[in-house]
Amino acid sequence: MSMRYVSLDRVRGLKALRRSTTQEATAQGWQASLLNDGGESYSRTKMIRNDPDRLSQALGAAPKMNQYGDYLSVRCWCAQPPRYSPDLRALRLLMPETPDEIADPEQWLFLDTETTGLAGGSGTYAFLVGVAWWEDGGLEIEQFFMREYSEERSLLFALRERIAEHPVLVTFNGKSFDWPLLETRYRMSRKISLPTPRAHLDFLHPARNLWRLRLGSVRLSELERHVLGWDRGADVLSGLIPQIYFDYVRGGPPERLVPVFHHNQMDLRGLAALSSRILSLLGDAENIGQDGLELFGVSRICEKRGENSRARKLYERSIASFLPTETDRAARRSLARLAKREGDFDLACELWEDGLGNSRHGYEAYEQLAIYYEHKARDPERARQIVRQALNELLRANQTGDIAPGAYREIKAKFDRRMERLEHKSRKPLLDALAMQAQA
Amino acid sequence: MSAFQSLAPRQPTSLETVHNIFGSLVARYRQEEVLTAVRQIPAREAKFRPVPAWVASALADAYRAKGIRELYSHQAATSELVRDGKNIVVVTPTASGKTLCYNLPVLNAALENADTRALYLFPTKALAQDQLAELQDLAKRLDDSFGVFTYDGDTPSDARKAIRERGHIVLTNPDMLHTGILHHTKWMRLFENLRYIVLDELHTYRGVFESHLANVLRRLKRIAKFYGSDPQFICCSATIANPGDLASQLIEKEVEIVEENGAPAGEKVFIFYNPPMVNRNLGIRRSYINEATRVAKEILARKLQTIVFANSRLHTEVLLTHLQQANPPKPGQPEPIRGYRGGYLPGERREIERGLRDGRILGVVATNALELGIDVGSLDACVMAGYPGTIASTWQRAGRAGRRSGSSCAVFVASSAPLDQFIVQHPDYFFGSSPEHGHIQPDNLEILVNHLKCAAFELPISPDERFGNTNLPELCEQLGEAGFLHQSGGDWHWIDEAYPADTINLRSVTSDNFVIIDTTGENNGKPEVIGEVDFSSALTTVHPKAIYIHQGQQYHVEHLDFDKRKAYVKPVNVDYFTDAIRYTQVRVLEVAEEETIAEPAARAHGDVLVRSQVVGFKKIKFFTTENVGSGKLELPENEMHTTSFWLTLGHALLAELPFTLSERQSGIFGLLYALGSMATLLMMCDRRDLGTAVGERPPSAASEINWEDFAVPANTSEAKEFFEPNLYIYDAYPGGIGFSEPLYRACDTLLSRALELISACTCENGCPSCVGPTADCSERTKEVALEILGRLCRDAQFTTRTAETA
Repeated sequence: MSMRYVSLDRVRGLKALRRSTTQEATAQGWQASLLNDGGESYSRTKMIRNDPDRLSQALGAAPKMNQYGDYLSVRCWCAQPPRYSPDLRALRLLMPETPDEIADPEQWLFLDTETTGLAGGSGTYAFLVGVAWWEDGGLEIEQFFMREYSEERSLLFALRERIAEHPVLVTFNGKSFDWPLLETRYRMSRKISLPTPRAHLDFLHPARNLWRLRLGSVRLSELERHVLGWDRGADVLSGLIPQIYFDYVRGGPPERLVPVFHHNQMDLRGLAALSSRILSLLGDAENIGQDGLELFGVSRICEKRGENSRARKLYERSIASFLPTETDRAARRSLARLAKREGDFDLACELWEDGLGNSRHGYEAYEQLAIYYEHKARDPERARQIVRQALNELLRANQTGDIAPGAYREIKAKFDRRMERLEHKSRKPLLDALAMQAQA
Repeated sequence: MSAFQSLAPRQPTSLETVHNIFGSLVARYRQEEVLTAVRQIPAREAKFRPVPAWVASALADAYRAKGIRELYSHQAATSELVRDGKNIVVVTPTASGKTLCYNLPVLNAALENADTRALYLFPTKALAQDQLAELQDLAKRLDDSFGVFTYDGDTPSDARKAIRERGHIVLTNPDMLHTGILHHTKWMRLFENLRYIVLDELHTYRGVFESHLANVLRRLKRIAKFYGSDPQFICCSATIANPGDLASQLIEKEVEIVEENGAPAGEKVFIFYNPPMVNRNLGIRRSYINEATRVAKEILARKLQTIVFANSRLHTEVLLTHLQQANPPKPGQPEPIRGYRGGYLPGERREIERGLRDGRILGVVATNALELGIDVGSLDACVMAGYPGTIASTWQRAGRAGRRSGSSCAVFVASSAPLDQFIVQHPDYFFGSSPEHGHIQPDNLEILVNHLKCAAFELPISPDERFGNTNLPELCEQLGEAGFLHQSGGDWHWIDEAYPADTINLRSVTSDNFVIIDTTGENNGKPEVIGEVDFSSALTTVHPKAIYIHQGQQYHVEHLDFDKRKAYVKPVNVDYFTDAIRYTQVRVLEVAEEETIAEPAARAHGDVLVRSQVVGFKKIKFFTTENVGSGKLELPENEMHTTSFWLTLGHALLAELPFTLSERQSGIFGLLYALGSMATLLMMCDRRDLGTAVGERPPSAASEINWEDFAVPANTSEAKEFFEPNLYIYDAYPGGIGFSEPLYRACDTLLSRALELISACTCENGCPSCVGPTADCSERTKEVALEILGRLCRDAQFTTRTAETA
C-alpha cells in the first residue's frame, strides 16, 4: 500500500484529539476551586521549561541523585503524632500470622502515594511517594517527587532503599491501591527489582470495622477529623491532584504543587496517628473505647479472629452503652451467635426473642429460634408455633407492602419448607403407629 | 430442460432424494426460474501425512487416543512451517481439522519448554468457549499440567490471577485484549514468554472491526517486544481470494500460505432457490423466509438432519416457530427442532450438540453464530434463508452439512435484495471459485490515533518507534498539543487521568442501534420491542411519520427519540409507504488518483467530506406508486470525513443519451443503486459499510456549490440537470475503512457486475433487486442505467489489466 501523507488539518480535525466536555470542566474547575492565586491561567499546550530551583525553593526541597539520575526529596520532622510502640497482641488481631518483628516500630514505614489517576494499569504513575518512620519520638517524613516522567527510575530506586531500611509497610488502602501501583511501576522500569517488604499492614479494613457505622465514610481525612479530632485546614481535593501535576509538568507554576505535598504529609501523619489509635483500641478497648460503636467494632474484629470470650464481653459492653438501633440489633445478633456457639442458649434465646420482626435479621431470629426448638429443645410444637408466627408476619408484611416481592418469596419458601418438615415429623409417629397396627 | 437433467448423476440416491424434495416444491413453477442452480460437488479423498517425528510422544499419544493417527496434508504442512518459525495463514473449509493446525505445534512447544505461552484470539466469546473444551480434553490426556483458560468479561475475578500466572494458553477476544490485558503488568509472565498468537476466523474480521484489530495487534507486538518476546502468528481463514495479503497487512509481517486442503469430504449437492415471482412487473417475489420454511419442512419430513441459517435473530425466531409447529415433539421426547444462537448458554449449546450427534435432535435454526467453527457434528442438509453476505460465509455455512462420507445437500434461498438476486441468477459467479478479496485499512487515522492513545498509556512511545504507516512523531506532537501526551526524556508519556481504552469500542459502527418499540401494548404495561435498525438507516426508515414495514405488517412511527435511540410505532393498515428524502452532499477534499475510463467518463478515489440530512419524506401509494403526499422533517445533520470512490460521467456522454432529462436523472440514481449493491459484493463488506451519493462534479475541488440543488431531489421535475455528475461510493465510517482504493482498482469488474445484475433482472422498469424501487423512478430507469453502463463497458480499455490487479 502506498504511503499517503495526511495533511495536518486532517489530523487536527480528528475526533480522537478532542477532549470530552466533562474532561474540560474538571481541567478548568480547579482554578476556581483550589487556590486564589490571582487567577493566572495558562494554556495546556504551552510548554515552558521551569526554573528548576523554583519548586525546590517553594518546598524547601533538595534535588538528590542516584545511579538512575535525579529526583526531588523533601524531608521534615513532626512531633505529632508521637512515636507509638504497638502491642503484639493487638497486631496479631490484625495479622494473625506475622513474625514478631512487626511489633518493632523501628521497622515500620508509612507509605502514601499521589498518582496521575485512579485507573490503574501501566499508564498511571505515582509522581509523589511519601514515606515516614518513627524518629526521635516523632515522625520523620520523606517525600520523593519526580519533576519529570524521566525521573521515575531514580525515584523508585530511592524508595527501594528506604523500604530496605524499614521493611514493614504501613498503609491506608495500600494493599489494593498504592502497592499494586508501585509494583506496576517497578515492573515497567525493567531495571529496578521490586522491593520485598517483610509485612504489609493496611489499616483500611480495621478502620472500616471500627468507624464506618459511625461515620459512614472512612476516608482518611474524615477519620482524622472525627476520630483524632484534627483539623487539616485548607486541603486540596484529591480529585484535582492529577491535573495539578499535569499542569506543572507542562510548565505551570510550581507553587500550585505545594498544597499537594502538604496533603501527602497530612495523609502520612494521619495514617501514623490512626494506626496508633487503632492498635491501642485493639489492645485495650475495655478502657480506651470512647463509645459503644468502637467497642462493637473491636468485638467484631475479635470475633473474626476467634477470640470469642473477649468478643462476647465487648459485645455485652457495647450493648450496655448507647448504640444506634441498627447497630444494637447487629450487636445482639452477633452476641446471640456467640452465645449459641458456646452453648449458652438461655442468653441466645432471649436475644432472638428480642430480635423477632419483619426484617431480614428478624426472620433470621425466627429461624434460629425454630432451629433451637426443633433440634436442641426437642419441642417441635413450639418450633411450629415460631414458624407459623414468622409466616404470619411475612403475610402481613406482604399485604402492607413492607417487604420486597423477591425477598418475600425467598423467605416464605424457606419457612414453608421448614413447616412442611415439622408437620411431617409430627405426623410420623402416627403413621408409624398405624403401620405397626397393620402389621400386628 | 430441467435443471436436474443437466447433470450426470453420480450418486443416484442422493440426487434422487433431492429430486423428490424439490420436484414437489417447484411443481407449479417454471423449474429453471426457481432452481437456478443444482450443482454436484464431488467427494474428495483424504490426503494423509504421518505425524512429524519431532512431535513429542506424549502429544502424539494423546492425539492417537482421540483417534488421530495421521495428519491431513495441510495439518502437517502447517505444523512444519510453524516449527520453522514462520508466520502462517492456513485456509481451510469447515470441518477440515483446522484447530489441530495450531494446537499441535503450540502444545508441542509447551511440552518442550513449560514456559511457553500462547494467546488465542477469537472473534466471539462463544467460539473461545468451544475451543476451550477441545483443548482441555487434549491437556487432560497429557501428563504435564497444562493451563488452558478463557479470559473474557465473564471470567470471575478470583480466577484471573491463576490464569495470568499459569495459563499456557489463554483464549480471549480482541475486545478483552484491548481493555483488559494490554495495560496490565500482571500479565508479565505471558508477555515475556509469548511465542504464539493464534488468530482464528480471520475472514470474519471485516470493516471497522478489522481496522481496530490491526491496531490492537500493533499494541500487542509493542508490549511483547518490551517484555522481550517476538511471537509468531498462526492465522486461520475460510476461503478468500487473498488470505496472504490480508494476514500480512493485519499482522505486518511476512506470512506463508497453506491452501491445500487434505481433509476428506463427502459428495454435496448445492442448490440455488429463487422464490417464485408474485408480480413480475414490480419484481415482487414470494417471501424468502416462507420459502425457506417450505424447503426445510420438506427436507425434515424425510428425517434428514438439517441446519437452517437466517441472517437475523428475528428471522431465526420466525423460522423456528414455523418448523416447530410442523414437527411437534413426540410424547415424552424432547423438542426435535431447536434454536441455536449467540445468547444461548454453553451448557444449553452442549446439550443441543449432543442431541444432534445422537440423533435426538432433527434440526436447528441458527444465526451466523454457528457459521464459525463450532462443532455440531455433520448434518445432512443446510438451508440458508438469505445470502450470508459473502462467498466465504456461504461455503462456511454450507459446510455445516456434510458427512465425511455419504452425501449432503445445501440450499440457498434468495431474498429479493440485489445481492441475493445477483448471486442466485449468476451461479457461475459463486461456483466459479472466485471468492472475495478481504480489504483492510489499518491506517484509518481516527482509529489509529485512538489506539495510539492506548499504546501510550500502555508504554511510553519512543520517537524511533513505528506505528502503522504514519508520521509518528507528528502524531505524538498533535496528541501532546491536545493534552494527552507529554514528552519527557525523549519518550512520549500518557498524561491524562482517564484510561483511554475504556472509551474506544472495537465494534463501534454496529453498536449504535435504534430499537423499534410497538406501543400498542403500552396501556397494559407491555410495549414490545419488535426490531432494531442501525444508526445510518434509522433516519431514513424510522423518522417521524414514516411507515415502517416489519414482518409484512405496517407500522406508523409516532415518535423518534433521537437521543435515546428509540422509535415508537403503532401498527396501521394503509395503502401507502414512505420514502425518505435524504440530502447527501459529497465534497471532494483531495483526489488521490484519477483516470479517464471511457471518454468522457472517469474513475477516481480520494478524501471527501460527506454531509447528509433527512429533510422530508414522500408518501407513495402501493401498486400505482403515485406520490400521495409529503412532509418535512427536522433531523440532525451528519458530517464526516471519509474516503470515496467515484465515477464521473462526462457531459457529452449524458447529452448523447436518447432520453428526457428526468429519465436521465432517474437512470443515474438507478445505476448508482446497482453499483452500490455490487460494490458490497466485491468488497466482501456489509451494505452499511458503504454509502452512495450523486453530486455535481464541481469545477474545482475547493469551490462551494449549493449542494441541495444537486442532492436527491424531492421531486425529479424540480431538479436541476446534472452537468457532469459524480457517482460516489464512500466508506460509511469517519476516516474510511479501506474500500475506496480497491473499488477504484476493480472499477471495470464493478461496472460489468452491475451490467449483469440489471440485465438479468426480469422486472420491467426496475425493482428493488436491480436499480431500486420503481416508486420514484421514471419508467425507463432500467433502460437508462443499462445504456450508460453499456457505454462505459464497451469502451473500457483497461478491462483485463485492472481485474488482475484488483
